[in-house]
Amino acid sequence: MEGNNTNSRILSIQNLIIKFRLRGQVLTAIRDISLDLYKGESLAIVGESGSGKSVLVKSIMGLLDKNGYINQGNILYKEYNLAKFKSEKDWLKIRGREIAMVTQDPMTSLNPLKTVGKQIEECVVLHQGLKGKKAYEQTLKLLTDVGIHNVEKRYKQYPHEFSGGMRQRIVIAIAVACNPKILICDESTTALDVTIQAQILQLLKNLQEKYGLTTIYITHDLGVVAKVADRVAVMYAGDIIEVGKTHEIFFNGKHPYTWALLSSLPQLGAKGEELDSIKGTPPNLFNEIKGDAFAPRNPYALNVDFVERPPFFQVSETHFAKTWLLHSDAPKVEPPQALQSFFEEGRRYAYGK
Amino acid sequence: MTKDHLWHLLPSFLGVIGLGEVRKMLWYIGKRLLQSVLTLFIIITIVFSLLRLMPEEGYLGSAAEKMSPEQQEIYLTNLGLRDPLIVQLGNFYLDLLHGDLGTSVTYRTDVPVTTIISDKITYSLLLGLGAVALSLIIGVPLGILMAHMKGKWLDRLGTGYIVFVVAVPAAVYYIFIQMYVTDLFKLPMLFDEYNPVSWILPLTSMALAPTASYAMWMRRYMVDELNKDYIKLARAKGVKERTLMFKHVMRNAFIPMAQYLPATILFTITGSIYIESLYSIPGMGGLLVDVIQRQDNSVVQGLVLIFSSLGIIGLFLGDLAMALVDPRIKLGKGGSVR
Amino acid sequence: MGIYSEEISNISQKSNENLFDFAVVDEQKAEQTGYSNYSYWRSTWQSFLKNRVALFLLVVVGLIIAFVIVQPYLPFQKSPTEIYIDEQTGSQARNVVPSAEFWFGTNSIGQDLWSRIWAGTRTSLFIGFVVALAEVVVGISVGALWGFSRKLEAPITQVYNIVENIPTTIVLILMSYILRPSISTIIIAMCITGWVEMARFIRNQIVILRDREYNLASKCLGTPSYRIILKNLLPYLISVIMLRMSLAIPFAIGAEVFLTYIGLGLPISEPSLGNLINEGRVLMMSPDLRYQLIFPSVVLSIITIAFYIIGNAFADAADPKNHV
Repeated sequence: MEGNNTNSRILSIQNLIIKFRLRGQVLTAIRDISLDLYKGESLAIVGESGSGKSVLVKSIMGLLDKNGYINQGNILYKEYNLAKFKSEKDWLKIRGREIAMVTQDPMTSLNPLKTVGKQIEECVVLHQGLKGKKAYEQTLKLLTDVGIHNVEKRYKQYPHEFSGGMRQRIVIAIAVACNPKILICDESTTALDVTIQAQILQLLKNLQEKYGLTTIYITHDLGVVAKVADRVAVMYAGDIIEVGKTHEIFFNGKHPYTWALLSSLPQLGAKGEELDSIKGTPPNLFNEIKGDAFAPRNPYALNVDFVERPPFFQVSETHFAKTWLLHSDAPKVEPPQALQSFFEEGRRYAYGK
Repeated sequence: MTKDHLWHLLPSFLGVIGLGEVRKMLWYIGKRLLQSVLTLFIIITIVFSLLRLMPEEGYLGSAAEKMSPEQQEIYLTNLGLRDPLIVQLGNFYLDLLHGDLGTSVTYRTDVPVTTIISDKITYSLLLGLGAVALSLIIGVPLGILMAHMKGKWLDRLGTGYIVFVVAVPAAVYYIFIQMYVTDLFKLPMLFDEYNPVSWILPLTSMALAPTASYAMWMRRYMVDELNKDYIKLARAKGVKERTLMFKHVMRNAFIPMAQYLPATILFTITGSIYIESLYSIPGMGGLLVDVIQRQDNSVVQGLVLIFSSLGIIGLFLGDLAMALVDPRIKLGKGGSVR
Repeated sequence: MGIYSEEISNISQKSNENLFDFAVVDEQKAEQTGYSNYSYWRSTWQSFLKNRVALFLLVVVGLIIAFVIVQPYLPFQKSPTEIYIDEQTGSQARNVVPSAEFWFGTNSIGQDLWSRIWAGTRTSLFIGFVVALAEVVVGISVGALWGFSRKLEAPITQVYNIVENIPTTIVLILMSYILRPSISTIIIAMCITGWVEMARFIRNQIVILRDREYNLASKCLGTPSYRIILKNLLPYLISVIMLRMSLAIPFAIGAEVFLTYIGLGLPISEPSLGNLINEGRVLMMSPDLRYQLIFPSVVLSIITIAFYIIGNAFADAADPKNHV
């Protein structure tokens, strides 16, 4: 991760292990993750449902469910170690003020019995130190920033008077009102239709530039990633298996799981071909996993994949992948044909032109 | 009522902003009013018809011994009791419109039922209102505290109290309170309207059950709401847990409560039956017990009808309160979820 | 975060040639998901067992019921209605304090309180059970019809709206006033008012459930109706039913006490907890005689509280959200 200047690293997750107590058993949701976040970038965390993406970011804000706990590891932010935070007082230093979240479902995320304006103003008062009329004006400004018209009228309205896309804008306004350094978007566009999705993503990008935010996007949609992310981390079964700049992942992915993900994207224009899907299902996280978690479903698995967990192999200054295929002793493996052409085309587009 | 609500209501009432809103609300209220009146009418009819089955000695009273069976027949026919049901119903409603509920036979002979009841109604009303006020003042904060300290000693204690009050029939613990607490605190056993201290026990006893109700309801509501998504977002915003509880959840809780409040007041009046007898309070409940024992049919009829009506009126007032306070109804979206 | 080059060299050294060959693809392994041997009823039962208070009370209730049934056949038991004559004075053994002969003492006409209390408990429990049972049977039938049948839904809803608004106290009083008091009257009166809540509840649940997607999915898979009801709907409903049943008993007992108090309860010849409490109430003023009030009250409180707690505990245990 030495690609960017170490000094601009603002969040550092080190060897994090998170477990949950469920029905008398213990489930390991995050199996030793290390990840850095650099100032001003936009990092996307991609993965299937159940890969642990939400759990990871919730732990950064202390919003894990009651039966979850950090077993070991550090989360370093400024002078704090978030993994060691225990009391609400500790977390109040971080929540909103430093790290804010845009949640997934705008329908249920807003208080149905409070006006939208009041809900945004609460943040302004809490984190921007404004009161009364100044806070009101700032709230109106925020509403305008997120693209809502007729702000004075809208301020007094209740959430059920807005459409889904507009509600999401309000949730974004709330997050931005907190004046955070890091903005986490947890599947923020999943509940919206595609055209609105594009608008919201553009809005987030604009806001990021305007307010100098560092953003983390959680998504399972590669299209979203392509649009907004500078760097991508691919998660599978509670572990990050590949991380790198967006074009590196998309056009030079090295982990078979990444290949599988990219292959499963329907290609517009290629009619009549069978859609690729990954055989099998993700592993049961109640059990301890030996070796590479993806091995049972990996058509390119090596024997060592079932024995030892692969460490990060370096592909470039910014690109790392956890696959034994990159070991010097491993056989040379090419990605599937269709994917290769995709890679070539992509590289030409990104570097060639 | 928060500033938001006033902000909204004021213009409505002034008819400045959105006549549409005022219209929608009036429409909703009108609908509910019609429903209530209709239900009231049906219930009164049914109850009245059922009351025709009352034993007939109740109309004759002490005079029964002096009359022969034929004389009794004639007497009853004169009272209109042999007419077909429809005719009796009609006469009843006509009388009702004049404010006439019949006359008492055994309790206070030949005194109009309305007079008898109106003497008593004030006491029951005061008792009912007082009990509800007391139970709100104690019950609601108790419920909130219990939700806040969920699982700790206060919650357990509160739950124990609620279990006791709900499970054990009121009759039983009313008696015990009267027995032991009067000794303990030197409180009077009997009610005396000029002695305010004598109000304490009846009010407190009657408030015990509603307090438990409110506390239980409030606690459950708060616990449920605190798990909802919008609270999770508020937490992520950096709002303190205490602020969440008081400014967000608690405020929201009052809205559904507004709906049940009038109904509880009126139901409490019916529940005063015990207390009034135990402490000799001259209210409607005690009256009911008396007239049942004396088999005075007309008064029984009057009381039963009044009690039935009170329930419906209460529910209607509750809906009215909801309409005024819940923004979702105010703007015409969806009716009350009961 | 870095590259663990040490580990890599370790592995390389430990490796046999085999390690970096392609592994045999085993499709079975790919499909292996977590097996969960979760059984709803077992989980419910286990949750319930964890609640020691409820468990304890369940045992207590069981013992009381068993005792109440067995009691008349035990030795040294007296008749609950016989009036005992004090040998020394030759008159009725009135208001005797608890003693070796009369374990709970006697009441004001000389009847043995011990046997009266258990007889009364028998009666009250009997009334409670019958009412609860009737409530469940009628309530479920009406509720099910109401929920399933689209045709009947509207008329029943109207009827419900009307019936719901009549205060139950009034109906109880009315019924008892009209039909002279007896055990059957009380049972009938309470049944008439009781089934309403149950029916509405069942109906609400059915309406919610019948259109739930998992039932739709079952239908699509070709599951026969009876199996849908048995496996999908019933577990959901049973917890609710148990809760209402267990609450019906304290309610029934309370209603009986209430009616007796007003004067519309059972005749004195039939001992019941309501009667006993009222008899005791009259003597409230004389501290020595208070035992006549306390004993039945205590028994009644134990029973009602126990049923209430057991019912709630069961409902909590049966709620799948609490099975974590």
